[in-house]
Amino acid sequence: MRSCLLLLPALLLLLALPDTRGRYNDEFDDGEDLAEFDDNDFAEFEDVSEDPTVETESEPPPRPAPSSSPVEDDEDEATVETEDGQDEFEDADAQDQDMFNKYDQEEFEGYESKSNPSFKDTLIYREVPAHLQNSWESYYMEILMVTGLLAYIMNYIIGKNKNSRLAQAWFNSHRELLESNFALVGDDGTSKEATSTGKLNQENEHIYNLWCSGRVCCEGMLIQLKFLKRQDLLNVLARMMRPTCDQVQIKVTLNDEDMDTFVFAVGSRKAMGRLQKEMQDLVRQKRDCLVLGRNWKLTFFILLISFFLCISVYLSMVHYIVNHADKIESIHFSDQFSGPKVMQEEGQPLKLPETKKTLLFTFNVPGMGNTSPKDMDSLLPLMNMVIYSIDKVKKLRLNREGKMKADRNRARVEENFLKQTHAQRQEAAQTRREEKKRAEKERIMNEEDPERQRRLEEAAQRREQKKMDKKQMKMKQIKVKAM
Amino acid sequence: MSANSMSDPRRQNKIFRYKPPTTDSNPTLEDPTPDYMNLLGMIFSMCGLMLKLKWCAWIAVYCSFISFANSRSSEDTKQMMSSFMLSISAVVMSYLQNPQPMSPPW
Repeated sequence: MRSCLLLLPALLLLLALPDTRGRYNDEFDDGEDLAEFDDNDFAEFEDVSEDPTVETESEPPPRPAPSSSPVEDDEDEATVETEDGQDEFEDADAQDQDMFNKYDQEEFEGYESKSNPSFKDTLIYREVPAHLQNSWESYYMEILMVTGLLAYIMNYIIGKNKNSRLAQAWFNSHRELLESNFALVGDDGTSKEATSTGKLNQENEHIYNLWCSGRVCCEGMLIQLKFLKRQDLLNVLARMMRPTCDQVQIKVTLNDEDMDTFVFAVGSRKAMGRLQKEMQDLVRQKRDCLVLGRNWKLTFFILLISFFLCISVYLSMVHYIVNHADKIESIHFSDQFSGPKVMQEEGQPLKLPETKKTLLFTFNVPGMGNTSPKDMDSLLPLMNMVIYSIDKVKKLRLNREGKMKADRNRARVEENFLKQTHAQRQEAAQTRREEKKRAEKERIMNEEDPERQRRLEEAAQRREQKKMDKKQMKMKQIKVKAM
Repeated sequence: MSANSMSDPRRQNKIFRYKPPTTDSNPTLEDPTPDYMNLLGMIFSMCGLMLKLKWCAWIAVYCSFISFANSRSSEDTKQMMSSFMLSISAVVMSYLQNPQPMSPPW
């Protein structure tokens, strides 16, 4: 009984503590608790001073560290009370820790196990974005691009200069020969008077033109220096795969009386194949061509000669051809040169193209791309050959038999052409007639004076009647003939 | 003197003026590279501007350079300058919108 009586206050004490804590927790929630403190004013203040410590203790482990700082602040402000406060705090702390462990286990189960591992796992280190880094290394692609552009510009300047030097070297070596043969050397067509400019026309960074005129036997000579595109880096790289060489193309246009009717072509196999496909006059002349085959001296040439007389042309130039075979790409003489075949949309052209008596020469510059200005001197004999052939062609004349044969062949080719285009020409004629009629009708309609209108209409009717009569007569005649 | 005039093939009275060959008669002989490159350059710069692709803009710059290198001297410089400006503006705009460096395709 006595032990029971002793235990009872202890129990009451134990129970009171959680109640007080609970009370303090509810203090700010319920106004009813305030009535308890009104009896003793000081008790209120004591409670107030204790409140922060109790509050901080009452907060569970989530903020053990922050709780220490307000407690420290309280200790700094109230120096007298700190020791008490501290003692109280320590006691309370010890007491609370006991309580704490109990409550932690019940209320915060698994809390510790959750907090630390998950916090560490979610920590990801991100890289600083490249453009925010203070380094140029991340922009290596851009640096590559700019370097490529600079390389292109450098190559452009170097290539342009080289082509210009080659052109000038060619002109310097050939100037004397040209000036002794032509009255006009160098013309761009823009000046009012026909005076020699004495320099090349630059069409491109890799194409230079020179027009020479004022000579017997020919109208004029157009020389085109077609160099490689040294100014374009892409072309330079392509040429490393497939080497090509610079070319000099010479086109001599002759007067009508300076050349007889023949077509003659000499060149390398590849060039001949290309010419035969592309050039209109060679295509049409295909039937008349004679392939002589390979001459033992000219193993890589194919000859396309349309008339036997042309052999004399070949023989007179053979020593040039043999000596400079590596530099000659093709030689093409034609009295009906009209340029390459033009592919038209309507199928075939309605009219035969205009022709001109022309001598065409294509020479390769030695060096296969790695040309130096000194190599241009080696083309001088070929220019001599050109001048020689201009004079020679004028003297070449077909005999009577050859001429008749040539004319017959030409007439045959023209007839074939006309037959092929017959239907198209008919259509074209029909459309023209309809257009005429329409134009006349419009004129009649637009006529204001009714008298004139009537007269014009009558005239048109009469014309139509005449045409019909003519047609009928023709039909009758055909019928009579048939009979 | 008469011998000289005989051997001299030059004739002042037989001069013909130079007529530049018309492109209508031989369109196949003309080099189409500068026109194609010009067109490609414009297409790539528009792609670079609209789709914000840096590599398109850089290719446009290259195309306009190639077109310039292959162009004929008779061509208008205004066309060349406009294609240059367009391609450079494409590059600048794509970097202003997105200053990150270009990533290689590999």
